Amino acid sequence: MIADEPTLARLMAQSQAGDRQAYTVLLTEAQLWLERYFRRRVAPGQMDDLVQDVLLALHNKRASWDSSRAFLPWLAAIARYRWVDHLRRVYRSAEDELGDHDAAEDSAEDAVLARMSLERLFVHLPDKQVEVIELVKIEGLSIEEASHRTGQSESAVKVNIHRGLKKLAALIERAD
Amino acid sequence: MNRVPNPLIASLADELTPVTPLRRRNGWLLALGALAVTVLAVALYVGLWQAGLAGTAEPMFFVTNGLLLLLGLAATGAVLSLAAPAVGNRPDAPRWTSAMLAILPLTALLTALAGGHELADLYDAHSAYCMISGTLASGLTFAALTWWLRRGAPVSTGAAGLWAGVAAGAIGSFAYGLSCPIDTVGHLGVWHVAPVAICAVLGRIALPRLIRW
Repeated sequence: MIADEPTLARLMAQSQAGDRQAYTVLLTEAQLWLERYFRRRVAPGQMDDLVQDVLLALHNKRASWDSSRAFLPWLAAIARYRWVDHLRRVYRSAEDELGDHDAAEDSAEDAVLARMSLERLFVHLPDKQVEVIELVKIEGLSIEEASHRTGQSESAVKVNIHRGLKKLAALIERAD
Repeated sequence: MNRVPNPLIASLADELTPVTPLRRRNGWLLALGALAVTVLAVALYVGLWQAGLAGTAEPMFFVTNGLLLLLGLAATGAVLSLAAPAVGNRPDAPRWTSAMLAILPLTALLTALAGGHELADLYDAHSAYCMISGTLASGLTFAALTWWLRRGAPVSTGAAGLWAGVAAGAIGSFAYGLSCPIDTVGHLGVWHVAPVAICAVLGRIALPRLIRW
């Protein structure tokens, strides 16, 4: 069970003041929240790296949280920023296994809430772009495999990934 | 379910030191300080226009400089807001203020054409000087806002760069504008608005690289 917003905000305020115990609890809770947030939007084998990356960003930029504002939207904005960066950087080879994509959710409602922001971004993309980004950048298929799976030519797969990621980055830029 | 402790968390907690939160109020103090120093520098080096201070200048002098100041403040507010990560952080105020300011160059063009003048007539002996001076006067605000954004964690680096440029250009042109004795719509509407556009382009292109994290 992940702590609620007021608890997280209180822990963050104590962490900004240098309370190590509160910080340990906060980071542990943030880790749980991020794992749920990124589920199905990152290849399972890369989830840990991305979560660690966001925890580091949280640490380095902890002064940028204003205690008069909510904590979770602040964390979600950092997570989205890092997620798109991650999708741009990562290219998984075809040898990598897909892993367990069907891991049990903690609860249907929590899962929907946790994934809402990332799902909302995908809604703005054409289906062809979403399809190949999911296959290549998240599931880790090669361009060739994605081409076979979708019926798109290899060039079209590359173009759709490029355009889709560009649009995702632009959506984050607009901060919707 | 027992989880394996994350060594990164222990390490980050170990090196935790107190930090001063990034407060918007302090950002405003910084930006207003930069504005005050810029106006003071203009007053010392060029001198403020007495007719402007006495209120006897043409209305366009007050309208143009008032709009520039308003845009500078609205864009500064957007930059301070964009410095901290947030979802749904869309700056609307500077968009509308920019649209209001755009009426000035449009008016300058329309009145020039309606008066039977050539567009080249909008260029006078002081045009380039005013445009360059207004752009140079934006430097301090540009530096202050860049520093603030680097302290923060902007997730919309393109937007943050653009509005930082607009804020710096508007405040720089406002400060320099207090010294300019030419108060015609043709001069103010074009050459005192141009620094905003120049700085907006500079901010949009150059700043994202400096503030990315």
